[in-house]
Amino acid sequence: MSGGQYLNSITENASRLGMRLQESFSEHTRDLTIARGASAAYLDTSDDKSKNIRKQLDSNSDREKLDAMKRLVALISKGRNVSEYFAQVVKNVASQNLEIRKLVYIYLLRYAEQEPDLALLSINTFQKDLTDSNPLIRAMALRVLSGIKVPMIGSIVVLAIKKCAADISPYVRKAAALAIPKCYELDSSHLPALIGIISTLLRDRSPLSIGSVAVAFEAVCPTRLDILHQQYRRLCKILVDVDEWGQVDLLNLLLRYARTMLPRPLVREDGVEELDTDVKLLLTSAEPVLQSRNPAVVLAAARVIYYAAPPSYLSKIVNPLLRLLTTSKEVERVVLVYLLAISKTTPSLFAPFYPRFLVRTDDMRQVKKDKIRLLLNVLNIDNYSAILRELIDYADDVEDSIVSEAIGALGKCARIIPEATQQCLTALITLIRSPHDAVVSSAVMVLKYLVQVQLSVAAPTGGSTSQSPLSIISHLARRIDDIKHAQARACVLWLVGQYAQSDEPTAGPEGIASWAPNVLRKIAKTFGQEASLVKLQIITLAAKLLVLCPVDRTLGLLTRYVFSLARYDLNYDVRDRAKMLSSLLAGVSPSGLANGEEPEERGGVVLRREQVRLVLFEGKSGIVDDEPSHLDDATAMLGSLGLVTGKPVPIDGVLPDWLENGVESSLRDSEDDALPQPVAPTALSSAQQQYRGKSMTPVVLTPTGTSRPNSRNESTSARGPWTDLDKFYEDAGDEDEDEDEEEESDESQESEEESEEDGNSEGDHPDPVASHQEVLNSSASDEEDSKEENEDEDSHLLDSGGWQTQTPP
Amino acid sequence: MAIDGLIVLDNTGRPIIQSGFRSTSTAYPLLHVDAFNSALSKASRPQDIDPVIYVPAYNNVESPSACCHVSCGDIRFLCPVSGDDPLFAFAFLRTFIDILYEYFGNVSATTMKENFDVVYQLLEETLDSGGHPLTTSPNALRDIVLPPSLLTKLLSVAGANINSTINSGSGLGAAGGPFSSPIPWRKAGLRYASNEIYFDMVEELKAIVNKHGVTVSSSVWGKIETNSKLSGTPDCLLTFTNARVLTDCAFHPCVRLQRWTRDKALSFVPPDGRFVLAEYRYSPNPSTTPASGSASATSTAIANLAKDNVPIPFSIKMAIDLEASGGSFDITLTSRLSTRPLENLVAEFNLGEGSGAIKCVASRGLGGFGSRLGMESGVPGNIGASWAFDSNKKVLRWEITSIPPSSVWNLHGSFSTSTSVPRPAHALQVRFEIQSHTFSALKVEQLKVTGETYKPYKGVRGRSIGNVEWRW
Repeated sequence: MSGGQYLNSITENASRLGMRLQESFSEHTRDLTIARGASAAYLDTSDDKSKNIRKQLDSNSDREKLDAMKRLVALISKGRNVSEYFAQVVKNVASQNLEIRKLVYIYLLRYAEQEPDLALLSINTFQKDLTDSNPLIRAMALRVLSGIKVPMIGSIVVLAIKKCAADISPYVRKAAALAIPKCYELDSSHLPALIGIISTLLRDRSPLSIGSVAVAFEAVCPTRLDILHQQYRRLCKILVDVDEWGQVDLLNLLLRYARTMLPRPLVREDGVEELDTDVKLLLTSAEPVLQSRNPAVVLAAARVIYYAAPPSYLSKIVNPLLRLLTTSKEVERVVLVYLLAISKTTPSLFAPFYPRFLVRTDDMRQVKKDKIRLLLNVLNIDNYSAILRELIDYADDVEDSIVSEAIGALGKCARIIPEATQQCLTALITLIRSPHDAVVSSAVMVLKYLVQVQLSVAAPTGGSTSQSPLSIISHLARRIDDIKHAQARACVLWLVGQYAQSDEPTAGPEGIASWAPNVLRKIAKTFGQEASLVKLQIITLAAKLLVLCPVDRTLGLLTRYVFSLARYDLNYDVRDRAKMLSSLLAGVSPSGLANGEEPEERGGVVLRREQVRLVLFEGKSGIVDDEPSHLDDATAMLGSLGLVTGKPVPIDGVLPDWLENGVESSLRDSEDDALPQPVAPTALSSAQQQYRGKSMTPVVLTPTGTSRPNSRNESTSARGPWTDLDKFYEDAGDEDEDEDEEEESDESQESEEESEEDGNSEGDHPDPVASHQEVLNSSASDEEDSKEENEDEDSHLLDSGGWQTQTPP
Repeated sequence: MAIDGLIVLDNTGRPIIQSGFRSTSTAYPLLHVDAFNSALSKASRPQDIDPVIYVPAYNNVESPSACCHVSCGDIRFLCPVSGDDPLFAFAFLRTFIDILYEYFGNVSATTMKENFDVVYQLLEETLDSGGHPLTTSPNALRDIVLPPSLLTKLLSVAGANINSTINSGSGLGAAGGPFSSPIPWRKAGLRYASNEIYFDMVEELKAIVNKHGVTVSSSVWGKIETNSKLSGTPDCLLTFTNARVLTDCAFHPCVRLQRWTRDKALSFVPPDGRFVLAEYRYSPNPSTTPASGSASATSTAIANLAKDNVPIPFSIKMAIDLEASGGSFDITLTSRLSTRPLENLVAEFNLGEGSGAIKCVASRGLGGFGSRLGMESGVPGNIGASWAFDSNKKVLRWEITSIPPSSVWNLHGSFSTSTSVPRPAHALQVRFEIQSHTFSALKVEQLKVTGETYKPYKGVRGRSIGNVEWRW
C-alpha cells in the first residue's frame, strides 16, 4: 500500500469512527488497532511522503495539521533537517489546539536560530500568550520566546521575563528563572536588569521556583554572592520543601556561599568544635534532605556536610551514601568512587561497614575493582582477617584483571597490617599452584613485592614469622618447574639471583645458598624454549651467581653454556644483554665466558669482582609504590565528573576555600529572621520546627556572632536593623498574595499560627532596600560605603514603587 | 547541575529519539552515540560496559564529556554530561524511565516509536533546553501531557479535540487545569467512587554466603509501594507496630520528615496513583541509642553487624569437580523454611568461556511426593524443576517454580570446555520469591485518613524477594 493510500485509509477510518462513535465503541476496536500503529508509521515513512506536509500545514483542519506536525517531528527524530517548512509551521503557532501548538514549539525551538527573520513573525503571538489565563501557555510562551536565539529581541525577552517573574503561578516564575541564563547568553548587556530579576525571584515565597533561581544565579552572576546575604537563612530553611532537582542546585549554591562568606568551622585543641550559627543552620537543613529517594539530592547534601562540616558531622553521611549502593548498578558504580575518595581521608568512617563492599561475581568490572580498592582503604586491625579471606576468594574470579587486582590487594594488606603477613604469604603460596596463568603471575609478583618489603624493613621481623623471606624464595626456587607463566618465571629467577648470597656453609659452591645453583642448572636446560623475558633473567642469574662464587668450576661451565646460547639467540635484546654482561664479567672470570674461543681483544676498563658485584646487586631493592591515582588529587571534588572518569575534566568546579573569619554575620540579618513566616506549602511541610521557635526573636538591634573590632562596621550593622524597621512600618500593610499553598492541618499548627501572627504584624516583605543597594553596586567590597550613600534615598525608592524603575548610576 | 540532553537508542545502536542539544554542536550527540556503540562492541559481556563512558573532546575548543547510559528493555538511554555529577544524570534517567512506564505501561523500541510524539512532549516538559529538569512529578505531568489512553486515541481518531479543553483552562472533570494544584505532587480535584489505598511492602534480601556456608554479608532492603485512589486532599498517617526495625529510610517528597524523626510515623498527602512511599533497610537489632558520637557509633555498628545477618531461607551444598577440558557438578538445595514455599527460584551458574556440551539431571530429593524423578535435557516435567543453558552468556539456569517447606532438590551433571583449564564462576546466583511474607515482619498498626469525610478501603500486603550469591 502506498503512503497516500495508507494515509487516506487512516482518515477514512477515522471519520467513519467519528460518525458512529455514539453507536458503539466496541464494534470499532479493530479500526483502533490501525490507529494505534499510526504513530509508528510516522517514523517509518520514507521521504517522498513528506511532500504533502506543506499542504497539510496550510489546511484548515486541525487533524491535518497535527498529522503534518507529527511527520515533521518524526523527521527531526530521524535526524533530517526540516527547516524548509519553517514559514508554514510558524503560521500555526497561534493554533487553538494545544497539541499542535506544543509540536510547533518543539519545532520552533530547534530551528528558530536558523531562521531568525521568520521566527520574528511569531513573537507577537508569544507576547499575547504571555497574558493567557492558562499558566501552562504562559510558561511555554516564555520558554519558546527565550529559546529563539535572535539577539534583536533581547529587550523583549527581558520584559517578558520581568513580567513572568511576577506571575502568580510559581510554575511560570520557574520558567522565568530558567529563561534568564538564555537571555544572558543571547545578549550580555542585559546583565543589570537580569540580576535585578534574580534578586526579586530570590525573595520568592514558593519553594517551587527557587531551584531554578539558583540555576540562573550560577549561570548569570555566580560571583554576586552578596545578593544572597539577606536570603541565606531563609533559603536554608525552605530547603526541605524545594523540589528534588531544585534541592541539588540550591544545596550547591548554599555550599558555595558558606565557603565564601562564612567562618571556617574550627576544632579547638581540647576537641571542642567551634561552629558559626549560620554554618550550623546550613548543616541542620541539609541533614533531613539526606533521606531523599533521589541519589543526586543525597549526594548534594552529603557534599555540603563533607565540605562544610566539622569532623563530628561526617558520620551522618555514611549511612545515606551506603544506601545509594543498592539503588541501581549505575548509581553503585558512581557512588563507589565517591566512597573511595572519602575513605582515603577518613577510612574509619566506613570500616565497620565493609560487608557492604563485598564483591559479587555478577558485579561489573569497574565495580569489582573499586570495591577491592575500597576494602583496602577500610582495612583495619578488626576486620583484616575477614577482608583477607574475601580477597583470597576474589582470586578465583573469571576475569584476569580482577584476579591481579585482588592478589595485588593481598600484598598491600600485608603491608598495611603487618599481622596479616603470615596469612597473606600462605595464601599466595597456595595461589602459585593455580592452573591459571594470571593467578600465578600475579601471585609471584606480589610475593616478590612482599619479600622485598620484608627484607628492606628489617631482619628481625624475618625471624618472628615462621616463613622468613629467604625461605619463601627458596620455596619458589624449588617450584620453578611448576611456575609456567613467563613473567612469573622471570620474576622468580631474578629473586633467586638477587638473594642467592648466603654466608652459611653449604654443600654447594661457597657463598651461595644451596638451592640457587640448582635453579640455574634446571633452567639452563630449557633455555631454548623460554620466552626472551625469561632468557634475560637467566643470563642475569648466571652472571650474579658467577660473581658470588667465581671459583666454582661447575658454575663456571654452566654460565659459559648459558652465555654461549644467549650469544646466538634470535632476540637481539638477549644477545646484547649477554654481550654486556660477559664484558662486565671479563675481570671476574677471564677464561670463563668465551666458551673455548680465544678471548677477544678488549679496550677500556676491566672491573674487579667487587665492582661488578656492586653493579649487579646494589640499588635493586627499591620498592615501587603504586602509581598515584587520580583519587589522590585533593582538588577532585565529590560529585565531579573528573573523579568518576578518572580523567581531568576542565569544567569541574572547585570549591573556594573558607574565609578565616567570614563576613559580618549581621549582613545576613533580615526581617525574615524576625518573621516566622511559615514556609510556603505548609500542608506538605517537612520543615523543621525548631527554626520557628528561634525565629520569633524580634529584630536584632546589635550585631551578633563574630564582630570585628571595626567601628565602621559596627555602626553600619547597628544602623541596618533600624532602616529595616523604618521600611517595615511602611511595608507592614502589604500582604504577600502569592500564598497559593494551603495551610498545614497538623498539630504543629498552633505554634505556627502564633508565630505567624507575630510575623504578619511585622510585615512579611524581605528588605528590598538592601537588595537594591546590592544591585546598584557591582561589588560586595564597597557595599558598606554604598549603604551610607544610599541611605537617604531609601524612602524615596520605596515611594517610587520599588527598584525596577531605577537605573544604575 | 545539568545534563546535556537525552538520546534513546534501539538495540541496533541507532537513535530513535533525541532531545534538542541546543547548546552544543550538532556533532556532539553523534559523538556520544558512537562512543557508546564502540564501547558496547568492545565489551566482552554487555553488562561489563562501564555506565560512565569517557568521551574525549573532538577538537580543542570543546571539553571532554562523559556518556552516562542505562538499558531498559531493548532500548538504551544515553545521557551526555559535561562537567557535572553523573549521579544527577542517572537520577534523571531513572525518573524519566519511571515516567515512561507510567505513561505506556512498558518501555520498548516499539512503544517508543508508536508514541514518539508523546515522548517528545514529555521530554520537552521534563527537561528544559538548558538541561535542567522541569516537571517530573507524574501527577502534574498527566495534566500537561495526556497519556495515550484508549479513549484519547479513540477521540483523536474520531477527530474530537480533547486538548482544547485543557487549553481553555477548564480541564477534565473538576480539575482546574494544569498547575492548579497547590501540592506539586498531587492532582487537584480528584474524585473516586470508591476510595482505596494499597500498600505493598516488597523486601529484598541481598546476601553473600562464602564457600564454608557462612553468611558474610546480608541485608534486607524494603520498599513501600503505594497505590492511592483517594478523592480530594486526604491527609494520611501511617503507623507501624514495630517501626524500630526500619533504618536508613528514604522517603517520597510527600512524607513529612520532621514527623518521622519525632514519632516514627509516616504522615503524608499522597500523590494520585502508584508511587514509592518509602524505602528502608531492615535492621533486626536496632541500636537503642541513635548513632551520635563517632567512636561509640562505630563500636555499636560493629556489634550490630554481627547480629544484623538475616538468615538465608535455604542452604546449598555444591560439589564441583574440575578436570582437564571439563568438569562435573552436583548441587543440592534444601529449603530451610518450615511453613511457606520458596517460589520461582532461579539459580544461575556461569560455566565460563568455551563451555558447552552440558548434560544435567534436575531432580527432587527426599521429602514430599514423587522423589527421584529424573528429567533429561531440561524438559520441564511435573516435578517443577528445569534447567537450561544459555550458550551466549555461558550460563546454566536451574529453575524451580515452587519449593515446599524443607524439601530437597538436586541438580547434577557435567560440562566440557574448549579451553584446557575450565574456569567457571566461583558462585551460584540464586534469586527467589516468598509470597505474603516479609523478612522484617513489619506490621502496619493503623492508617488514619483525615481531611476528608469518607472511609477509604485500605490494603496491605507483603512480598519478599531474594538475591543470594552462594560461593563454592
